[in-house]
Amino acid sequence: MSPVRVLIVDDSSVMRKIVDRSLRQAGLELTEVLEASNGAEALARLAEKRVDLILSDINMPTMDGLEMVRQLQTVENAKGTPIIMITTEAGESHVVQALANGARGYIRKPFTPDQIKERILPLLEG
Amino acid sequence: MEPDVDQQDSKPVHLILSAQSSGHPPATSRLATLSREQTRDELTAALNAGARETFEMMVGTSLTVGDFSGLPRVADYTAMIGLAGDLCGVLSFRCTAESARRIAGLMLNSEGPVPEESVQDAMGEICNIVAGAFKARVTGLADQCMLSVPTVVTGKDYRLHSLANGQRLQAALGFETAVLWITLDLQG
Repeated sequence: MSPVRVLIVDDSSVMRKIVDRSLRQAGLELTEVLEASNGAEALARLAEKRVDLILSDINMPTMDGLEMVRQLQTVENAKGTPIIMITTEAGESHVVQALANGARGYIRKPFTPDQIKERILPLLEG
Repeated sequence: MEPDVDQQDSKPVHLILSAQSSGHPPATSRLATLSREQTRDELTAALNAGARETFEMMVGTSLTVGDFSGLPRVADYTAMIGLAGDLCGVLSFRCTAESARRIAGLMLNSEGPVPEESVQDAMGEICNIVAGAFKARVTGLADQCMLSVPTVVTGKDYRLHSLANGQRLQAALGFETAVLWITLDLQG
């Protein structure tokens, strides 16, 4: 698999580090890891740079993950980029809304590196 | 003996917590069909299981059954998150400074000192994930109960006043040689 550039969106810096570590444990070679603490920051990062994968929390201040996914549909640098929601809000309504807005899947917190691997590698290999 | 939730000190800061459910759809989770005792048993079991799952998967350690008598008189770190919807109230996670630093270090896979900002961040995130794991275990609640962004209070100089005015569920869980304290104050 080719090295990938990822964007991790979570208001917790600790969680961003855990996701980063889990991706590496899953065997991904990361060329660059961009971070954002809310949806608005993520949109700003993506205005500057294209990434291969976006992993985002849902519950965040300023702009939540569902709104971010909705707005990403019009961001040129995000077109075709797989988006996975990593969230404590794993209710059906949140998942349905995220998928309807363009997310490709979700992972419920707490998670294991194996769950990250199972959900993400097929998206990057496909 | 279960501890008093109020933090004790001479000049306390008063924290008033409330969670409102206005605008939410009518109750449709399984809780609506249970007696008060069944609800208490089911929620307490979910609280314990959610905390254990969170620590096993995010901290890499197993929690044991804790002894309420082993709880510190006051906690150094208190992380709180509001719940609104079919279940309204506040979930609090409390521990000593030593436990908080140890938990943050394990989450970050760091053996050295962890910056204070990261310790607070880790406490908030643990509380958030425990709350999510808790509600995922109660049938029908995942969609019918929303979580707030967590708040973390450090220090002992405060009193916690919940406006929930309902049931209080508590779990004491053993973490290494310390005890962690999780409280769910429910409204109505």
